[in-house]
Amino acid sequence: MEELDKVTQATANTNAASQSEGAQSSEEAMRAVQLEHGPLLEVKDLQVDFTGEGGKPVHAVRDSSFTVFPGQWVAIVGESGSGKSTSAMATLGLLPGTGHVVGGSIKFEGKEISGYKPKDFVALRGAKMGLVPQDPMSNLNPVWRIGTQVKEALKANNMDVSHEKRSKLSKALADADVTVNNEGDETFIGSQELPALLEAAEKALIEIGIEGEKLSRRMAQFKRDWVAGSETRWRVADALIKSGVKDDDAWYIAKKYVTGSSLEDRIAGLLDEAGLPDAATRARQFPHEFSGGMRQRALIAIGLACRPELLIADEPTSALDVTVQKKILDHLQMLTDSLGTAVLFITHDLGLAAERAQHIVVMYKGQVVESGPSLEVLQHPQHPYTKRLVAAAPSLASQRIISVKSRGEDASSIMEHQVNAEKLEKSETIIEVDHLCKQFKLPRKKELFKAVDDVSFKLKRGTTLAIVGESGSGKSTVANMCLKLLDPTSGKVTYEGTDISSLKGKDLLDFRRHVQPVFQNPYGSLDPMYSIYRSIEEPLRIHHIGDKKSRHARVAELLDLVKLPSAVMQRYPNELSGGQRQRIAIARAMALNPDVIVCDEAVSALDVLVQDQVLELLNDLQAERGLSYLFITHDLAVVRQIADDVVVMQHGKLVEHGTTDDVFNNPQQQYTRNLLDAIPGGKLELGLDL
Amino acid sequence: MSAVDRLQPIETLPGQERYVAPLDETPLREVDSIDESAPATSMWADAWRTLRKNPLFIVSAILIVFIVFVALFPSVFTKENPNYCSLENSLAGSSANHPFGFDLQGCDVYARVVYGTRTSISVGILTTIIVVFVGALIGAIAGFCGGWVDGVLSRLVDIFMAIPMLLGAIVVLQMFRSSSSIWKVVLVLALFGWVSVARIARGAVLSSKNLEFNTASTALGSTPMRNLFRHIIPNSLAPVIVIATTSLGSYIVAEATLSFLGIGLPTTTVSWGGDISKAQSILRTDPMVLFYPSVALAITVLAFIMLGDAVKDALDPKSRTE
Repeated sequence: MEELDKVTQATANTNAASQSEGAQSSEEAMRAVQLEHGPLLEVKDLQVDFTGEGGKPVHAVRDSSFTVFPGQWVAIVGESGSGKSTSAMATLGLLPGTGHVVGGSIKFEGKEISGYKPKDFVALRGAKMGLVPQDPMSNLNPVWRIGTQVKEALKANNMDVSHEKRSKLSKALADADVTVNNEGDETFIGSQELPALLEAAEKALIEIGIEGEKLSRRMAQFKRDWVAGSETRWRVADALIKSGVKDDDAWYIAKKYVTGSSLEDRIAGLLDEAGLPDAATRARQFPHEFSGGMRQRALIAIGLACRPELLIADEPTSALDVTVQKKILDHLQMLTDSLGTAVLFITHDLGLAAERAQHIVVMYKGQVVESGPSLEVLQHPQHPYTKRLVAAAPSLASQRIISVKSRGEDASSIMEHQVNAEKLEKSETIIEVDHLCKQFKLPRKKELFKAVDDVSFKLKRGTTLAIVGESGSGKSTVANMCLKLLDPTSGKVTYEGTDISSLKGKDLLDFRRHVQPVFQNPYGSLDPMYSIYRSIEEPLRIHHIGDKKSRHARVAELLDLVKLPSAVMQRYPNELSGGQRQRIAIARAMALNPDVIVCDEAVSALDVLVQDQVLELLNDLQAERGLSYLFITHDLAVVRQIADDVVVMQHGKLVEHGTTDDVFNNPQQQYTRNLLDAIPGGKLELGLDL
Repeated sequence: MSAVDRLQPIETLPGQERYVAPLDETPLREVDSIDESAPATSMWADAWRTLRKNPLFIVSAILIVFIVFVALFPSVFTKENPNYCSLENSLAGSSANHPFGFDLQGCDVYARVVYGTRTSISVGILTTIIVVFVGALIGAIAGFCGGWVDGVLSRLVDIFMAIPMLLGAIVVLQMFRSSSSIWKVVLVLALFGWVSVARIARGAVLSSKNLEFNTASTALGSTPMRNLFRHIIPNSLAPVIVIATTSLGSYIVAEATLSFLGIGLPTTTVSWGGDISKAQSILRTDPMVLFYPSVALAITVLAFIMLGDAVKDALDPKSRTE
């Protein structure tokens, strides 16, 4: 414990030092400390089994080894089911269901913990190891205030700071000359004493001759930085010394005015550290009043509440928008760096891993297939699986996918496609959206909510138009209006020159035949009661096309189109993976030979490799059939791979509209630039030897 | 420190050297390949497979098949006429042709138990059929239409919910004492029983109405009515089936209770409830007269409740208690 305190101090100090001396030396100092301390977590040949049906063991993790050093970010990367979460949960002693460790060793701070009983783990969790879970929506208890849930984390680990630290401090203050020890310097500012502290600081600054503009700027910074329950005594002293106050005076002020915080202060401080503004008010709110990003910040505050040595972050941002993800991870990185916390970061996103972690562990089917320094592994992958992953990663560097046809493998159909294109030149625009608005009535609110506000764009025949935006930007509402699943409040959508709002009966059926959707959730868009055959056959049945035999042939043909064996026909959706279901959904959309397919976040729920496969498929279909896509996504990296034109939306408004190259190479709006910057690993070149 | 700065190659720490797994130990599989060996399973096939292995289901199914057989062909089990009573046999003990002996009126208890099965089973099944039909229809309409239709129908359900089934049945049956058909009991039980099914059906329809495949289907050109019959109703059936099987037993109990109270079936109809009622006066002298119809009633109800439990386990794997 003492040793680790040293590490914490060292990291904190090196972090402070890095500002003046540059990153390189701090990294060296860090490395020296890490070497001296040895690994924080050492997992060797770990084997985890689940008991399957009939008591048969299912090997979830086999012979996996990885090491985490103090203060380090280590990423475990892999697709769903690769055993990455299971490995992490095994170290926490939180294996779900029938999971149990059957072999190997897990050493934490040099102690073997794989044989620990649940009781032993309780002492370890929270205080030594924190967890930031994946789903911010379900991991906060909806009936407790956020602050109460943070308090629970503190109390469960006897970190009820106010009490014990206060008593210690009062004892220390009773001895005339206050002896400075680490414990005291880690005391937090209390909200009661903050005004007096600021006053004293101002006086001290004036005394050393700082005044006017400079003084008010300094004070403003102090007010911002010195958060009750979060900033410590030594940081206060440090800040004062940096502003020019003499060492002795600075320490005198710090010791006199920083005497300890109340529990409420500490809770607010923790939430503030996690990046929640106005934390004291927020602490009294309930989870449902928080957005996804704010909930994740609260979970980070809980995970770090007891200052664990190791934080396990299990896909902490996969449910969030990219810009929010960037903000949260930047903040978490800053926070863990200053606290010296090591982070075991579980993700499926290679870009994210490359950007955040120093060391990367690639897992596949329960085994570690490759590990090493992250950039080296991702730039020069050696295992075929890593190579495959890197090749499929939709990083910013990648270009639009080139279809099989355009690669020149089938010249005749290119000719055909060209003929088609000439014929259709007259009506180049297939869907036109004109000053589209949609307002919703919100429950318990008087004013209408503008989900879509004056959006206009044209979808050109045979091309892909991507609508990009964060959740709540109104992009899906636009898609639903283009599909005539929602009626616009004002403005219109025209398909082939006809306003679709007037379509009824037979004309509507005809429109439906030409414009087909593929939805986001591959688990929801197929009826679980329908076999795959019936699902794909459904549109044919609705439109009374063909007889039983020809429909069967058509379904087989469609399955072949999406590269699934025709044996799938008799199966049911629950037997297929997300990617396979999404391909079924595409086959269903293709059944009526549509002109336009509206893909509403069609690949967002899929693993990288599967996502890549589906995108390739969509692209090949477009080249073969001259399809037009309206592609709704939040993922700009995917846009680069598939779209010709991009529409960027924010808060229901169209922010930017241009060709993909223009938008990516020369974004006009700050919002677009933010989105581009937020793409994880966007600036890194991966897979150099591929 | 920006993100990129962190990535300057530094010497690796011990235990973090570059490692690549040997390929033969970690063979690569096709991306997103399909396991073609596993058998195809629909939800119903899955449910059937679970049911088949459930001992609760096996026991209850055997019992129910037997009970239904007795109800259909009572003459196979007894040659006696349950309505032929002669006072000279009053409370006579069991004999070869009359294994359960005779009651106070001198009727053959065994024959009455056997013939009583038919009454109980027909009341149970007929009530369930009517209840499911009416309840599911009203519930589905309420859930599917929403708005004021849902408002009106839901309040109607609430009103019926507020009336205890037995109390309501007693009041209504008092008015029709003269009628002697079992239909009067069936209809009264259905009148107060449909609400629970309607509630369940409404909830099930509401939740499956909002599932994405309905939107998908609409976008494919399907009409709302087609959605209702092709997607929403099939997806809402499971909970309705569960409540129907579990409540079948309770209708049988309700019929017996009403007959016991003397306001259910007419005394001329052979029924377990009526027999139990008659037997209570001689409970001290000859308890066995009361015992046999009670056991028959208990076994029948238990069989249906066990079946309901088994069906619930099979159709809703989440509710299973491991």
